[in-house]
Amino acid sequence: MDKQYKVQVKDLHKSYGDNEVLKGISLDVKPSEVVCMIGPSGSGKSTFLRCLNRLEVPNSGHIYIDGYDIADPKTDINLVRQNIGMVFQHFNLFPNMSVIDNITLAPVELKKMSKEEAQEAALHYLDIVGLKEKANVNPRTLSGGQKQRVAIARALAMKPDVMLFDEPTSALDPEMVGDVLGVMQNLAKEGMTMIVVTHEMGFAKRVADRVVFFHDGKIREDGTPEQIFEHPQHPDTQNFLNKVLNV
Amino acid sequence: MKKSWWQRTIISCAVMLMATFAGLFVNKQVAHAEQTYTIGVVDTFAPFEIQNKQGTYTGKNPGIEPEMIRMIAKHEHFKYQYKIMSFNAILQAMQSGQIDAGMGGMSVTDERKATIDFSTSYYKDGIVMAVGKNSKITKMSQLKGKTVDVKSGAAGALYAESIKDKYGFKIKYFTTSNAMWNDVKSGNGAATFDDGPVLQYGIRNGMPLKIVTKQINATPIAIGFKKGQNKELQAKINDGIKWMQKTGRMQKLIDKYTKGSGTKTESSKNRTIFGLIRNNRKALLTGLWETIKLTIIGSLCALAFGLVLGVMGIAEGKFWKGLSSTIIYIFRGIPMMVLAFFIYIGLPNVIGQKIPLFTAGVLTLMLDEGAYVGAIVRGGFEAVDVGQWEAARSLGLPYSKALVKVIAPQGLKIMVPSLVNQLIITLKDTSILSAIGVMELTQTGTVIIARNMEGFKMWLIIAVMYMIIITLLTWLSNYVQKRMEA
Repeated sequence: MDKQYKVQVKDLHKSYGDNEVLKGISLDVKPSEVVCMIGPSGSGKSTFLRCLNRLEVPNSGHIYIDGYDIADPKTDINLVRQNIGMVFQHFNLFPNMSVIDNITLAPVELKKMSKEEAQEAALHYLDIVGLKEKANVNPRTLSGGQKQRVAIARALAMKPDVMLFDEPTSALDPEMVGDVLGVMQNLAKEGMTMIVVTHEMGFAKRVADRVVFFHDGKIREDGTPEQIFEHPQHPDTQNFLNKVLNV
Repeated sequence: MKKSWWQRTIISCAVMLMATFAGLFVNKQVAHAEQTYTIGVVDTFAPFEIQNKQGTYTGKNPGIEPEMIRMIAKHEHFKYQYKIMSFNAILQAMQSGQIDAGMGGMSVTDERKATIDFSTSYYKDGIVMAVGKNSKITKMSQLKGKTVDVKSGAAGALYAESIKDKYGFKIKYFTTSNAMWNDVKSGNGAATFDDGPVLQYGIRNGMPLKIVTKQINATPIAIGFKKGQNKELQAKINDGIKWMQKTGRMQKLIDKYTKGSGTKTESSKNRTIFGLIRNNRKALLTGLWETIKLTIIGSLCALAFGLVLGVMGIAEGKFWKGLSSTIIYIFRGIPMMVLAFFIYIGLPNVIGQKIPLFTAGVLTLMLDEGAYVGAIVRGGFEAVDVGQWEAARSLGLPYSKALVKVIAPQGLKIMVPSLVNQLIITLKDTSILSAIGVMELTQTGTVIIARNMEGFKMWLIIAVMYMIIITLLTWLSNYVQKRMEA
């Protein structure tokens, strides 16, 4: 793999039975780059993202992150995942433990930190996402936006060098979206490598270094936000943007 | 591939289980070496066998055979212990070697001689036909098209089978005399063929039946042994019978039970519900305690077995999943009574070792209820949102840590109501173990009723006892569930 890239994907294929959802995807992401993936539902962007930490197992192709080939079954995926943060559409906080325990669970269990260090770190990350005072409550009592910010803090606590976001604001009430996007924007500013599947075109325009347009299991267009949003080349891209921007 | 911790856990659990059972067998062997004979004896079959209130054969009037064995053992210097079971179970247990000898007013027949060695006969016993007190039937020729009740495997059954076509009646089988007599009493069965002395004893103790024939086919009664085994015990008992006959002890013993009235059971003034409870208090409490013990130990074993099955059922590998499903499929598919018979009576034939009754009972509960618990556990784990797995795994937690820290606590909470329900079912299912003779509450009831003939009142008492325990259990579980919610 090429050292200058943080994430390098080569000719990725994924099928469910006869249904091929990824038809040969290649993508390179540089360190500190923020890549937003847009496209219609069912275009394969979420599946692609989930392949990056092997929540989905690709049929063929290669994914290199930190020098490990994620697609190779011999790779110790548990080790690699520690360096890849993932944020889900439905937050997936653990309801059987408090907010702070959600955050300290992985660092302590995986012996990255002592219990005390982990708690200190957790409070630090909760502060970053603006929820320090919620440390000891049960996640069930939080609003959607608060849950998602805790989920981000939980991912950050493992000190990942890549963060994957799978439609992080799609399940939120509109007034909550801003808080979550704000946190993500700050992360981007601090140099985190981020791959974001999103329907928030405004966020993509403002924050992304690159925008990738998915259509029918393939990358149709890949460029700067300006290129994609102002001068889309492919008719599929134009069609999609017409639909989502002119509502 | 490296085995993960839970695979190792499952393997070590299996090894521990096997070691436990091996241990039980080894203990049994040691006991065997001391020359304590295990004698299978039927539930009360008066006057041959009369259990006391505790369901044992100690005391002054244990019946002809236990009193005879007591005298012979003293004279011949051997020790013995009784295993109380149904007559049919004795025949099978004798063949499987679970018991060294069996007795229960056993008739010597040619058919039985093929698989059983008999002692010298000490008594002759004939079949009689009995009908309800007010029945108009007096002759076998009046039985055409009617139902005749017999005890399966007993001489009366063999006789009824031999004349069934001649007289054109149907046969219904029972396991205890008492249930059979009550069936005739209520008019369901037109008549019964049973041992003369036994029926006489029952009628003397208040069973409203009447004997309408003379003794038919008087057959010798003897103690049975597994064919070709236990020659030593057979010789001792034969010697003892000879001694008793020579010294007149045998005749005195038989007269005591067939002529005198000193061996009647409870007097009529104790036959109210409260009188019955007072009289049988100790036996009922012992039976209840056995039921509770079986429920607790059986449920704990079933829970352990079920957890293993459940964890295997959601494992990543196809092998473990398939194994779990297969085990659940097998034990859910076998009726518990069949499983109990298989373990207690069938298995010893194959492994060549006796299985203690209580162990067989617990093992049955563990396998049968454990299969259901396994399905509950698997279902509970599967009911946890798949997003929880993904979140835990994406943080880098290995499968086992994700299961223990994230999935299991949530899954167990989902399972609690089903598990409590299964606990109550287990409590009720322990009654099935009465079939192999475990002296739990139901079997205690059977034994008491065989002695005092108070079927309705005793079963009412037993039913209420079960309901009280189950009500308490339900309250407890509601309390626990409320505490968990909070």
